[in-house]
Amino acid sequence: MSNKVAIIAANGGLFDAYKVFNIATAAAASEKEVQIFFTFEGLNLIHKQAMHALEMPAGKEHLTEGFEKANVPTIPQLVEMAQELGVKFIACQMTMDVMGLTKEDFVDGIEVGGAVTFLEYAKDASPTLTF
Amino acid sequence: MIKANLQLDAKGLACPMPIVKTKKAITDLEEGQVLEVQATDKGSKADLAAWASSVGHQYLGTVEEGDVFYHYIRKGSSEPEVEKTFEHTVSLNEIESRDGLILDVREEAEYAFGHIEGAKSIPLGELESRLEELNKEQEIYVVCRTGKRSDMAAQILAKNGFTKVYNVLPGMTEWNGKLTKEV
Repeated sequence: MSNKVAIIAANGGLFDAYKVFNIATAAAASEKEVQIFFTFEGLNLIHKQAMHALEMPAGKEHLTEGFEKANVPTIPQLVEMAQELGVKFIACQMTMDVMGLTKEDFVDGIEVGGAVTFLEYAKDASPTLTF
Repeated sequence: MIKANLQLDAKGLACPMPIVKTKKAITDLEEGQVLEVQATDKGSKADLAAWASSVGHQYLGTVEEGDVFYHYIRKGSSEPEVEKTFEHTVSLNEIESRDGLILDVREEAEYAFGHIEGAKSIPLGELESRLEELNKEQEIYVVCRTGKRSDMAAQILAKNGFTKVYNVLPGMTEWNGKLTKEV
C-alpha cells in the first residue's frame, strides 16, 4: 500500500480550499506523506492575502452561518495545521509567472516547482486527488 | 466512567480537527495506554475507528452521553511479536467448561467494551499490587487480547507462588462466545 497522497489544487474558491485542506490534514494525521500542487486559481489557497478572503460559490453565501455554527476551522488555520503536520506545498512556477507572483506572495515554507516535480512525486502515490 | 490514561477534549470541533488533535495527543501516551477522546462531531466515531486501524492503534469503542461521544483508543505497539514462554496454556474454547477464575489482564477500557461473562479484571500493570485479591488454591485462567500480556501475567503469578495458572490462547481477538459489556 502506498503511503503517499498527492493532491492537485486547481481551483480557488472557499469550498475548494476546504476540500483540499481537510483531506490533506486528515491524510497527514493518518501518517501519510502528503504533497499538494497548487496551480492556476488554486494558488489563492496559499496566497498570503487571498487565503483570508476566499469566495463562496455564487448563490451559496447563506452557508456562511452554517460554517460558523459547525465551528469549522478557518482556511489560514487549516493551512498552518497542514504545514505543522508535514504537508508539503508546491506552487506551480508556470502559473506564478503568468500571474506575476513570486514566492514571497505565499505563506512561508512552500516550494516552487513545475509539473514534472509533482508527477515524479505522484507516480507511486495512492490516491492522487484533484480539486 | 471508563478508565483512561489521558482525556482529550475535542468537543465542538468539526472534521478533521478531532483526528488531528487525537494524533497529537496519542504521542504523549506509552504503548498500551488508553486515550479518551471527547467529541461532538457525529462523524468522529467512524473516522476515529478508521484512523486507528490505518495507523495501528486499537479502537475499543464509543459511549454516547447526550450530545457527547466518548471514544476509547488504545495506543498500538510497534514491538515485534515476542515468544510466549509460560508453559501451562489452555485453549480459549476450553475455558468455559472449566472450573476456576478467568482473569482478564487487559486495560479496564478494553474489558469494559467486552469480556467473558464472570471474568475478573486486573490490568497487567496493576497485577503485582493486587495479588491479594486472588486465591492461590483456585485455578486461574489468564486472558488478554492476543496472549502476550497474559503470558507475562501468568509468569508474575507463578513467581508469586500461584501454581494453578494457565495462559489462555489465543486471546479475546478470537473469542466467538458471548461478550459482557460494562458501558
